[in-house]
Amino acid sequence: MNKKPIRPPRLADRFFEWYCRHASVEDLHGDLEEIFYHNLEKVSANKARWLYWKSVVSLVLSYAVKKRKKNSAYHHYANANSTAMLANYFKVASRSLLKQRFFTTINVLGMAIGMSFSLLLITMLSFLRHYDTFHANRDRIYRINTTADDRVRIDEYASTPLVLGEKIMNEYSGVEKVVRINSLFAADASYETQVVPLKGYFADPSFLEVFTFPLVKGNKSAALLKPNSVVITEKAAYKMFGNEEALGKVITMGDYGDFEITGILKDIPKNSHMQFDVVSPYAAFAAYHSDHPDQFDSNAWQEVRNNYVYLLLPEQHNLADIDQYLSTVADDAYSKNEKFSAAFQLQSVNDIAPGKELFNEIGPDWGYSSILIFAFLTLLILLPACFNYANISISRALKRAKEIGLRKVVGGQGNQIFTQFIVETVIITLSSLILAYGIFVLVRPEFLAMLVSAEGLDLSVDAVTIMYFMGFAILVGFVAGAIPALYFSRMNPIQALKSKAPLKGVTRISFRKVLIVGQFALSMGFIMAVVIVLKQYHASVNYDFGFNQENILDVELQGVDPKLFRNEFSRLSSVEEVSMSSNIIGTQSTSKIWVKNIQPADSIEVFYTAVDHKFIPNLNLELVSGRNFGEDLPVNGKYIIINEEFVKQFRLGAPLDAVNKSIQLGDSTEVIIAGVVKDFHYMHLREPIKSFFFQYDLSQLHYANLKVRSADILSTVMDMEATWKTLAGEKKFTAKFFDDEIEEAYVVYFVMVKICGFLGLLAISISCLGLLGMVVYTAETKTKEIGIRKVMGASSLQLALMLSNGFIKLMLIAAMIAIPVTYFLFDKGFLNTSYYRIDISVWDILISLAIMLLLGVSTILSQTLRAARSNPVDTLRYE
Amino acid sequence: MKGYLGEFEELVLLTIATLGKEAYGVSIKEDIENRTDRSLSIGALHSTITRLEEKGFIKSWLGDPTQERGGRRKRYFELTHEGKVALHNMKDLRDELWKLSKTKLTLSR
Repeated sequence: MNKKPIRPPRLADRFFEWYCRHASVEDLHGDLEEIFYHNLEKVSANKARWLYWKSVVSLVLSYAVKKRKKNSAYHHYANANSTAMLANYFKVASRSLLKQRFFTTINVLGMAIGMSFSLLLITMLSFLRHYDTFHANRDRIYRINTTADDRVRIDEYASTPLVLGEKIMNEYSGVEKVVRINSLFAADASYETQVVPLKGYFADPSFLEVFTFPLVKGNKSAALLKPNSVVITEKAAYKMFGNEEALGKVITMGDYGDFEITGILKDIPKNSHMQFDVVSPYAAFAAYHSDHPDQFDSNAWQEVRNNYVYLLLPEQHNLADIDQYLSTVADDAYSKNEKFSAAFQLQSVNDIAPGKELFNEIGPDWGYSSILIFAFLTLLILLPACFNYANISISRALKRAKEIGLRKVVGGQGNQIFTQFIVETVIITLSSLILAYGIFVLVRPEFLAMLVSAEGLDLSVDAVTIMYFMGFAILVGFVAGAIPALYFSRMNPIQALKSKAPLKGVTRISFRKVLIVGQFALSMGFIMAVVIVLKQYHASVNYDFGFNQENILDVELQGVDPKLFRNEFSRLSSVEEVSMSSNIIGTQSTSKIWVKNIQPADSIEVFYTAVDHKFIPNLNLELVSGRNFGEDLPVNGKYIIINEEFVKQFRLGAPLDAVNKSIQLGDSTEVIIAGVVKDFHYMHLREPIKSFFFQYDLSQLHYANLKVRSADILSTVMDMEATWKTLAGEKKFTAKFFDDEIEEAYVVYFVMVKICGFLGLLAISISCLGLLGMVVYTAETKTKEIGIRKVMGASSLQLALMLSNGFIKLMLIAAMIAIPVTYFLFDKGFLNTSYYRIDISVWDILISLAIMLLLGVSTILSQTLRAARSNPVDTLRYE
Repeated sequence: MKGYLGEFEELVLLTIATLGKEAYGVSIKEDIENRTDRSLSIGALHSTITRLEEKGFIKSWLGDPTQERGGRRKRYFELTHEGKVALHNMKDLRDELWKLSKTKLTLSR
């Protein structure tokens, strides 16, 4: 044959060899090549290559290759994944796991901790997957969302302007049904003596037909026809009437009037993006709306909150048509408005939860971003656990090297070794799963309590979820086992049998160091977060708000006449003083009003609280100048009491000069400044102190602040409840201590502490377990060195230090990375959301560092000390 | 009748017999292609050969490495006694049918 550079296509060769694997196809391959060269003499090179490919494919598909592959399967080299071998792997794996109990325990514990948090995510995701799936028409139900642009910011709302639904109903024929929903239907429902707070929707009668919320009693098509009808869930009905028949009863819904119950709904499933107790016809809302025009924005197209439009599209529909229509509607409505515009989008009910992050969601909020953050945190916990496993396994390689070497010598293939180690890892992750499930069950209620939208979340575990768990455990086994399995399967048998596993490779050592540093940096970050947030929480709760909160009991008036209340409650021996206010200062936001200075005409928005004359002395607010309101004087309404900031902002001179000056409230009311109080925190500490005033207005009072002197709180409260009954009848007596209310207002910090603390606990446990594994390994490999050093005269302490040094250095490096990052995140990020914030001091950092070092060092020392104390006679004799 | 032979199987068996000691994949393929003027896929040929071997009509052995084939060995085929019997059976059947044919099968008009 003349030497031709043209060769059969290599890819085809490779493919053929790969496909046939161990089957003996030498002759077939030879035939292929011979035909190729014969063809070359007749046709072009490319054609020959093409024919070669064709032949390869025809052979691959032929019975000849199939038969030969089948024959080769009985060859002892090739049955890589037969069940017999798997059973053997299982046996070998469990033996070696049992033999190394200590490392197995560390691995199982670490994996369990790492996986526990993931189980929460899996349960949550598997629940979210079934969101809104119970609607029979779900593929045809769409919601209209609004993108509102008020020239300051652009926000996406789940709601629409009030008038849009009506417009579609009247003029657009391309939809089968339109359901308008208003979510403001919330009131204390009363029936005879029973009062239960209920919330729900006003909705068009088609609500019950479009959505699959089945009625237990009542007629689906007639239930919402009359304006004063209401359907109520079984749960709510039970709360109101117990076991009595609810159908046909008339309940009073606060301001909204009387409603007759025309249907009982089956309880709303938790996987519904709408959660409600009652539904009334939209007509009832329309009536209320026209009776109270002052409560709503006069420009209906601009008010996008709380009104929702759902469309049921016909079987044959074209979304583009509806989009087109909606954009013309938007153009019509907003073209003349310079300050505001909006666009409307359709969203399938399947995409609502989980879905885009939208403002003013109708029910529980399941935005993608919060799920992503959660998933990220999960990975942050899970990945270190996996790395730990890889790390410990590889460092144990020396112990396994002989076994692997022997396996390879008697014919074990790389992929068999690989499978063996994967099986071993999967056994570990599956046993971890049991433990992780235990942790999962323990933390589940805590977790649900932390979540805001927990009411719409059901984390119970069913068979499918268990399947997910198993699948997840196996997947984690593959991920965590891949690195050690690859490492072992590539091991050179000669080196392995000589016990010279190539462990000391520079890359691997630094890889493990990087792992430890990464893990401890993470732990350090979490510890610092807990310390900082806890400090901010304590600082907020114990902050000097500038008024007295001790022994003050806040009682909701719930419409009881303030004067009557004061008369009755002052008589109680335990009550020292009674004052009233429109809201609880220091916690929630207060009302605002525009205030005009009369001299230099200058208008500023100012916060105010309505109080009575006892309020300022009762809360120990300090009057800098001027006087308090007089007792029940009719002229009180003409006066206000301002704070120092007010004086400064309105340039009224010294506090003394400000007294008796006139100021204009809102558009017309002119008032006189009666006094000036020292600045105090009337709002959440997030906000700076701005201008503020007290107004004397009995009609606005909602809370009574009782100063109690009694030591016996229980009997005091019982006395009060008795008094309350004479005033308010059946309404529930709600009282809270002022300092508790303040604490509640800052509970968000506490929730954060809990989350960070929990994550930190997981992270540090995993890091310490990983560290423990590494230290034990180091101590084990250095047994002889320690023995010799000891014989030469080294003390136990010196040896322990020698062994620990490297690890402590790694932890310090981790701290050096974590401290600036965490400091920056919290100093520039989190703490800046609060105006009155703590500063992160050196002490906070030192405390965090000390906690981490304490945990880490005690882990290290627990092992190194033991190794250092060992008797050199025992360790050296062992040869 | 045991060991029924397909048309292509019979063709392959006879070709192997024709080629004698030189019967291996490529030579069989080219011989059949030349004689019958039809192109044959190597996969189909080897499938048939494998089936024939399974039925015990042919046996095979590996030859010496040849340079032409990238140093790979050829697998040579040879008829077994059963193979010869099968061919005879086939031929007898044909002859009988030819003899019994009521239509005149001679091509001359």
